[in-house]
Amino acid sequence: MVIDLKRCVGCYGCQLSCKAEHGTPPGVLFARVVKREIGTFPNTQLVHLPMLCFHCASAPCVEVCPTGASHYREGGVVDVTTDDCVGCRACMQACPYGARYFNETQTGYFPGQGLTPYEQRKYAAQNVGIVMKCNFCLDRVQAGLEPACVANCAARARTFGDLDDPLSEVSQLVRLRGGEQLQPELGTHPSVYYLPPA
Amino acid sequence: MAPSATPDRLLADLGTTFRPQRQWVEGRGVWLIVGHFLSSVGAGTWVFSLWLGYRPGLGLALAAVALSGLAHLRFLGRGARFWKMYRVRTSWIARGFVGMSLFLPGAALHLLRPAGAWGSLGLALATVGAAVLIVYKGNVYAASKGVPFWNSPVLPILYATYAIRGGLALLLVALPLGGRGVDAHAVGLIELWVAVSAAVMLGFYLGVMRGTNLAAQRSVAELVRGRAAPAFYLGTVAVGLVVPILLGAVGVAGPLSQAVLAAIGATSLAGDFFAKYAIAKAGIYVPLMPAGREPAAPAA
Repeated sequence: MVIDLKRCVGCYGCQLSCKAEHGTPPGVLFARVVKREIGTFPNTQLVHLPMLCFHCASAPCVEVCPTGASHYREGGVVDVTTDDCVGCRACMQACPYGARYFNETQTGYFPGQGLTPYEQRKYAAQNVGIVMKCNFCLDRVQAGLEPACVANCAARARTFGDLDDPLSEVSQLVRLRGGEQLQPELGTHPSVYYLPPA
Repeated sequence: MAPSATPDRLLADLGTTFRPQRQWVEGRGVWLIVGHFLSSVGAGTWVFSLWLGYRPGLGLALAAVALSGLAHLRFLGRGARFWKMYRVRTSWIARGFVGMSLFLPGAALHLLRPAGAWGSLGLALATVGAAVLIVYKGNVYAASKGVPFWNSPVLPILYATYAIRGGLALLLVALPLGGRGVDAHAVGLIELWVAVSAAVMLGFYLGVMRGTNLAAQRSVAELVRGRAAPAFYLGTVAVGLVVPILLGAVGVAGPLSQAVLAAIGATSLAGDFFAKYAIAKAGIYVPLMPAGREPAAPAA
């Protein structure tokens, strides 16, 4: 995936569309936008960084998983086999990007009022006591659709494709616009590239 | 037990530059610290009980490691699936699981049938398991790339030192239970030496981490003047290092009573627990963005 920081307006559309797609509990954000106001007045700047699982080629979360629940899928997607996860949360400590969440309790968005029908349906597909994460909306991709955050980005800042194909749009964007990975010094080789804001 | 982090707190953490780790220390995470503490103390006790020929110590070691297994199960989100942890090729948690799997039956076998081939086999299995248990814990933390404070080769050495110390400490507490033939004074002096080593190692570790990167520096700050400071100063330093070292230093001049030796052991054990707790509590994840003011994000 390639995220164009020049186009991103920090609208949280990716975050909300991901929520709508996966129906994750409160506090679980497979896609999120991190914002900072940096500098001192009058030289200040608003920086926003859309985040998700980077599906690293050398994923530390896969390395530390004691059961093999965290694994690489076809195409380099890092996924969690829910039936194998023991909930040790080592992957959460290993991930430098904060892309993993422990599904500790399935509380709804309206405390004291029970779960909404939507929450009931979505939570039924999620196991408590295990770690959850973004899987690049594999179900959608296998159905020929784009991940929800890509399809719903109002600024069209996100492009999804095959980084191994040098002729794909994502590869060309990375090459021509100088795409960069977040914190490459960690040696995780993320599969998400950012295009510079200027 | 309360969850490790409420959704509101999780969201607040996600918005901060220096995101604290909570999963391995708060809520059910405390059970992991208890499990790590007990398994290292148990493994250390096994090694020293063997060396001193102190049979009640072997039983204590088995009990400590068995309790640590229960604490680990309590911590896991899906404890009933523990048997799936066999991916030893890359995971230190899996190696620890194998170590515990060798130790528990091996130690039980050796205690039930000390003589003969079965006893020897049990002894070998338990001793290999104890060695793994002493080594693995620090490496579990050191493999956490997301938390620079732990991601250091110094931490496994520190944790191994604490495991050895914990083993001696439990022996000092247990010697009044039937330690005839064991030179308690000598054990006390070894404990003093290991306590001083642990203090030096802890200082070295913090010194190294202070010069590593921003997140590690922040973790050191959390330890010495932040949310982990009470556990660090009171538990790790005062109770865990200063008291046993002072009491042990008195023992250099002459023999100490068993009560004082037991007090050295008990304070050392408390220090061992709080060292693990404070180091876990001070964990800070790699910052994703440069530090700055964080604007309010909409609720999600």
